[in-house]
Amino acid sequence: MSANEGIVFNIQNFSVHDGTGIRTIVFLKGCPLRCAWCSNPESQLMKPQLAFNPMKCLTTEKCTRCMDNCPQDAISPSPDGLIAIDPEACIHCHTCAEHCAANALNVYGKTMTVKEVIREVEKEAAFYARSGGGMTLSGGEALSQPDFSLALLKEAKRHRIKTAIETCAYARYDDLKAVCEYLDELIVDIKAVDDEKHKKGTGVSNQRILENIKCVAAEFPDLRILIRTPVIPGFNDTEEEIRAIVDFIPVQPSIAYELLPYHRMGQPKYAYLGMEFPYEGKALEEGIMDRLRIIESEANQRFKQKQ
Amino acid sequence: MTTFDCCLSPQEARIANSIDTRAGRERIYEILDSFHMTTPFIDIERARYFTESMKATEGQPLVLRWAKALKNCAEKMTVYITPGSLIAGRAGKQGRYGILYPEIDGDFYSTLGELDKREKSPFKITDEEVNIVLTEIAPYWKGKTYHEHLNGAMPDDLRGVTYDDDMGLKSKFVVSETSSYRSALQWVHDYDKVLKRGFKDIKREAEERMAELDAESPVQTWEKRPFYEAMIMICDAIMLWARRHADLAREMAGKETDKIRKAELLAMADRCERMPAEPAKDFRDAIQSQWFVQMFSRIEQKASAIISNGRMDQYLFPYYEQDLEAGILTREQAKELLEMMWVEMAQFIDLYINPTGNEFNEGYAHWEAVTIGGQTPQGEDATNELSYLFLESKREFPLNYPDLAARIHSCSPERFLAEIAETIKDGSGFPKLINDEEVVPLYTAKGAPYDQAMDYSVSGCTEARMPNIETYTSGCVYVNFATAMEMTMHNGRMLKYGDQVVGLETGDVTKMESWDEFYDAYIKQHNNLLVKAFRQQYIVDSLRPEHFATPLASVLHDLCMKEGLDLQNQFIPGGLEYSYFEFLGYGTVVDCLAAIKKVVFEDKKLTMDEVLKAISANFEGYEDVREILRSAPSYGNNDPYADAIAKEIDAVCQRYAQKYSEERGVNLDVRYVPITSHVPFGKVVSALPNGREAWTALSDGSSASHGADHMGPTAVLMSNYHSKNRGMKNRASRLLNVKLSPKVVEGEAGTQKIVDMIRTWCDLHLWHIQFNIINKQTLLAAQKDPDKYRSLLVRIAGYSAYFCDLSRDLQNDIINRTEHEQM
Repeated sequence: MSANEGIVFNIQNFSVHDGTGIRTIVFLKGCPLRCAWCSNPESQLMKPQLAFNPMKCLTTEKCTRCMDNCPQDAISPSPDGLIAIDPEACIHCHTCAEHCAANALNVYGKTMTVKEVIREVEKEAAFYARSGGGMTLSGGEALSQPDFSLALLKEAKRHRIKTAIETCAYARYDDLKAVCEYLDELIVDIKAVDDEKHKKGTGVSNQRILENIKCVAAEFPDLRILIRTPVIPGFNDTEEEIRAIVDFIPVQPSIAYELLPYHRMGQPKYAYLGMEFPYEGKALEEGIMDRLRIIESEANQRFKQKQ
Repeated sequence: MTTFDCCLSPQEARIANSIDTRAGRERIYEILDSFHMTTPFIDIERARYFTESMKATEGQPLVLRWAKALKNCAEKMTVYITPGSLIAGRAGKQGRYGILYPEIDGDFYSTLGELDKREKSPFKITDEEVNIVLTEIAPYWKGKTYHEHLNGAMPDDLRGVTYDDDMGLKSKFVVSETSSYRSALQWVHDYDKVLKRGFKDIKREAEERMAELDAESPVQTWEKRPFYEAMIMICDAIMLWARRHADLAREMAGKETDKIRKAELLAMADRCERMPAEPAKDFRDAIQSQWFVQMFSRIEQKASAIISNGRMDQYLFPYYEQDLEAGILTREQAKELLEMMWVEMAQFIDLYINPTGNEFNEGYAHWEAVTIGGQTPQGEDATNELSYLFLESKREFPLNYPDLAARIHSCSPERFLAEIAETIKDGSGFPKLINDEEVVPLYTAKGAPYDQAMDYSVSGCTEARMPNIETYTSGCVYVNFATAMEMTMHNGRMLKYGDQVVGLETGDVTKMESWDEFYDAYIKQHNNLLVKAFRQQYIVDSLRPEHFATPLASVLHDLCMKEGLDLQNQFIPGGLEYSYFEFLGYGTVVDCLAAIKKVVFEDKKLTMDEVLKAISANFEGYEDVREILRSAPSYGNNDPYADAIAKEIDAVCQRYAQKYSEERGVNLDVRYVPITSHVPFGKVVSALPNGREAWTALSDGSSASHGADHMGPTAVLMSNYHSKNRGMKNRASRLLNVKLSPKVVEGEAGTQKIVDMIRTWCDLHLWHIQFNIINKQTLLAAQKDPDKYRSLLVRIAGYSAYFCDLSRDLQNDIINRTEHEQM
């Protein structure tokens, strides 16, 4: 990938919960983490991926366009009236998705240039101006395409579009630092402070993440930083865990803290991608969020007061 | 607690948890409960005394006849005071009621007795009353109604697209006239004039003007003198009618045992003695005076959607401020009086006997829109404490009447927008917003002086009126352009109407070899409907003044008084006529064009033959074709591909309107406001190339097709912005519905998001916007359990209505509107 091109899997308008104001989120593909609870499984791999949504499929009785057009003859009817793709024969040309009438076969991820992305983002500029919103880079992990991310942010700034990035901070510090120069807002996750726990839940050590956060906070004291914790049942949904995270956060007025309650809205996508959903059946205990919110608001008070 | 796993709007929470909102409003609720959700009945007195007088005045000038008929009504109609109310004046019996206008529809009253059985907006009437109507009233009007005249005047080729029967009762839903069930379009009076001057002074002006006439001039004595006589008589009529309420209040006070109520009735008697004859002295006077004029207007005629309330926060404010200062009124008392007016308003139902009229105005619709905010005639922000009081009242007491409209401009105060956002968040659909930054420049471009344009009132559904310079407009023609698309596909025919060539034979669509050829064929069908629409409207406009006069509206109009001409006249020197025609199926047509262009001619994914077979079969056995068509670019997604087509279609309409508006000297401009009619208009249209199934609703106003706006509400606004030809002036209002889930606008941050969205909407110079903030699950639950959800208000076209008052079709239409939820 050059700096000028990257793989984007979604551009979402009217986002009101990720950063200031009314925003457009650009989702970049590829993530170094493998969180068990991941709500965007389609974002994990860098390359475009074919997905199949059986709910949308018209069934082979009514439509056989994917089979008819597959150059490898890799698709055949399955006994349940849907389709089966032979993984051996498939060459990932995605011709089937192009021909699918109902968009049941769908490719997550397409290559876009900086210019194309910014053109899409700028279409909603009228809303950013009034709300203080703008573009948020997200993923996957935006910094897994560091050159492209940086190029997008630079170009957004040239267009006077306010910028934010949502990152897990598992990246080279130089890459993180480079993008911070072009950011109005940094949104970064801390999922757990305990390294063993972190490895278990996400597949990677948190040492680099925590280090990066400390360094950024010190080197960019005026940059607005929102540190977030997805509250995951059975992983970090206790007062001890959240308190440990809060205690780690550098106390400075540019930093705010937010808890995101776990949701299962990404679950269907696992099935579309032919993946197992590893977090089946988990849900937050009733009332826990209320208790955790107290810690969140105390922390924010403390950060704000620090002058 | 609730069964939904989601965030509820305040309205939803009140219903789900059966929260009592009555504390402090016991009195208002007592009145409301006495009629709420009952089937309205018909009061025949207005029709009876109006007709009685008209029989006796044949041959005289119409305006004078009308004034005499109203005087007869003022003298003879039973007067009522609603039990417990502080405001006097009704146009009919106690309870929820409608009245008859036989001058409009008296030729088909044979169906009156069956109105209680109709699904949409039923009415009750006693057999005895039916008998009176059929023996005393209807026979006189046979052969004289506007409706019959129009039906007879319609040339055959126009009839073919207008009516589906010989009587002219059943609409064809292709090029529909809407003039035969109303005497004019929405209007608003200069209430400020009423309050400041009173009818004695207005009468004095009429007398002076009559005295100034050249008594020897044959023209003036025949043309003008009767007009001023009528003006004097109408002033007398309304003052007389009001005084009869004074007598009634005194009589009721005499019998009243409760001391407090007795005192109230005596105070009311005193007010009715003076109002609206004299200038209002205080807030209570002003409310009573306005109410008398409003109610007498309803007796005068059936102007569609009823006379709006105008800029209430402006003309009431001086009295409010002065009374508060003097310590004779509290904020709570002012609110109670206003709410008293709202429950009085809710009892008068705009009755449509005509089945087509009824289809267009479901849910007992009427629009006495109250305007708040906006700018002063000199362009300063006009928001005041009363503006906030109106919003507060809507949050605390969200009755469906009156409709509340907030005027927004670039310098609207932040508090105003925030309180609007809070009110919108309540979820009952109020207020709708109208944009000064669009209306004022457009109205000045069309010829209005700047100060009058600045002072416009929101009127009816989404319109704006300048009450002293605009003139009456006829019920406007509704053009179903989705049928132009159907006729393009089927060589001038519609599946619903069989072999009849309803449009033009533009050729076999499967033989068309290029996009240009197809587009040309569509434009031919489109233009053919425009031609028919303009011809039809010209006949409608020409006949109207022969049938209707409006002395009360005329006496309140500067130009009418100056020129000695009734407001029902088509041309009044110095007057401006801003009328419009309705574009039905904008999103539907644009999506069809985009789908054909992209899928058939550019990508060649489907052949025209496949598309034609698929739509002819209503997609049965062609589900894949339907899905491919649906995946084409569509309007409402900020997609330049579809929006460019939308813009061109708008321009086609505007260019035609410009050409023939000039010739006619009046504007007949393109408007996108279907009220509820996109449902019945959809019922005649078979399957279309945007994947829309046969007989389902068309797209609504300038909103996207159902489910087609997958890019979020901001994109819908941008599509509106990009599809409008702002360099042309032959355009009118555009209605825009946005449905959000309560979750999106939760909390203070959510309020700010709505404020930001409104600011941007204002920047984009879009005419109108309204919000439904409701969970889809709530609507589905209300369909299952209507009793529990009786009080659930939803936003329809330009108004809010009780969800359970609506037909199943319209309920489904609302459910299917895209709910925007992004996290």
